Amino acid sequence: MGPHHPSMHGVLRLVVVPQGENVIDCKPILGYLHRGMEKIAENRTIVQYLPYVTRWDYLATMFTEAVTVNAPEKLANIQIPERASYIRIIMLELSRVASHLLWLGPFLADIGAQTPFFYIFREREMIYDLFEVATGMRMMHNYFRIGGVAADLPYGWVDKCLDFCQYCLPKIYEYERLITRNPIFLKRVKGVGFISRQEAINWGLSGPCLRASGVQWDLRKIDHYECYDKIDWQIKWQTEGDSLARYLVRIDEMKESINIIQQALKLLPGGPYENLEGRRIAQEKGRMNWNSFNYQFVGKKSSPTVKLPRQEHYVRVEAPKGELGVFLIGDDSVFPWRFKIRPPGFANLQILPQLLKGMKLADIMTILGSIDIIMGEVDR
Amino acid sequence: MKFLAAATEGRISAWLTKHKFSHRPLGYDYRGVEILQVKSDEWLSIAVALYAYGFNYLRLQCAYDAAPGGSLISVYHLTQMRDQPDQPEEICAKVFVSRTNPQIPSVYWVWKSADFQERESYDMLGITYWGHPYLRRIPTPCWSRREDHVGNARFSCSFTYMVKLLDF
Repeated sequence: MGPHHPSMHGVLRLVVVPQGENVIDCKPILGYLHRGMEKIAENRTIVQYLPYVTRWDYLATMFTEAVTVNAPEKLANIQIPERASYIRIIMLELSRVASHLLWLGPFLADIGAQTPFFYIFREREMIYDLFEVATGMRMMHNYFRIGGVAADLPYGWVDKCLDFCQYCLPKIYEYERLITRNPIFLKRVKGVGFISRQEAINWGLSGPCLRASGVQWDLRKIDHYECYDKIDWQIKWQTEGDSLARYLVRIDEMKESINIIQQALKLLPGGPYENLEGRRIAQEKGRMNWNSFNYQFVGKKSSPTVKLPRQEHYVRVEAPKGELGVFLIGDDSVFPWRFKIRPPGFANLQILPQLLKGMKLADIMTILGSIDIIMGEVDR
Repeated sequence: MKFLAAATEGRISAWLTKHKFSHRPLGYDYRGVEILQVKSDEWLSIAVALYAYGFNYLRLQCAYDAAPGGSLISVYHLTQMRDQPDQPEEICAKVFVSRTNPQIPSVYWVWKSADFQERESYDMLGITYWGHPYLRRIPTPCWSRREDHVGNARFSCSFTYMVKLLDF
């Protein structure tokens, strides 16, 4: 099956051995979208690399940027101002809602329900509009910088965002009314793709797949990063471990994200948003005259960079798909020595062959959809 | 975090020494996670010991080379996963192997999450993992990530080779 799939699954080739309608064995073949992201990172400064990172998980782009920017910040001990931290939280949670929405559409489209696919794009377009006004791009934002964010929120953005939250929460309840108690949906999804708690931990799952199997593990609570501790929210989890549980966890996470956004918007302090790079360029403006005769043929002007010390560490964020991590080894220069990306989809996809053994052919799409992978980050 | 590092000064290292597992502590990484250096032939027994200690979650398995022409290093980040923990214990184990004969026992049978990640390390740097049930290339058809490969060694593979290499 594959590598081309309809409805936004990315390029994944599944070699399935069926016996009639039952699946005996399955082997996923990856690598169709391998672009050598890790190798490229070794020759780019962090600011140069930021446009690349949004292409890992292109549905929840703020998380990729957050982890790429967190890695050198923690390595070089750069503190970020509180306003920037709250802006980051708001953007991250909006991105989480967007990602779960776009998971929901294709998941149900594969099961057979085509209508939610259009519904989710209605909300997602609004999130795109919010992002475009704040960052300049609908999807590949390039918004986070070392030290904070690139630009402050425009005037009126906070009100628009609150309006969106008030609009979106009833819509999520509408999805629940449409989908959750639908008997056809329940028959397709209940009891399909069961992962026990021990299996989930052993296979290295993370994110909603792990929380649906009964493990209350959310990196936002464990790692205490950004300002999540100042906001009152709960980890959403289920115990059943089947596809229905994973669906319920994601719906609950969407509601919790709206809750977090509303609280963060109310708590948003004033203060700097700290684009260190922009401040540096403004300081240099008097000295370097890029338009003068000496530089008139210089096309590529280098921007201020951060020197990474010769240390290593592993930072992670709770992306909507799971634990997105970066293992960064600095090299006392502006380029990292090793930039290993730990994508959640890569680890979550490992369990697929085991889950599919003994299932029917039609359950392949249910299980694959409920694990929620995105090939951009699986293959990098 | 610094206070925590001082309090658990080599705690896991001390536990391993008490049970007579040979390893070498390498200090801490920048977040305060303890790093151990393990020899390739002893790695499997230490992995099982760490699993028995409570590290039930293999978070990250990656590989890199220390320098162009230097040794290859396979890195394992392990965590204790429980319900709602506060600052769970973490450890980082590194296995150093030579470039000419990189062989490491696979920890797939201890932590299944090493499956794809060891396959990727095999593909990218050529480290062979003994005991892995299905060690085939994942992302690429050619060795591409080693530091001593000049420039675009990726493109030195011909198209027919890549097509043939959809081996499974």
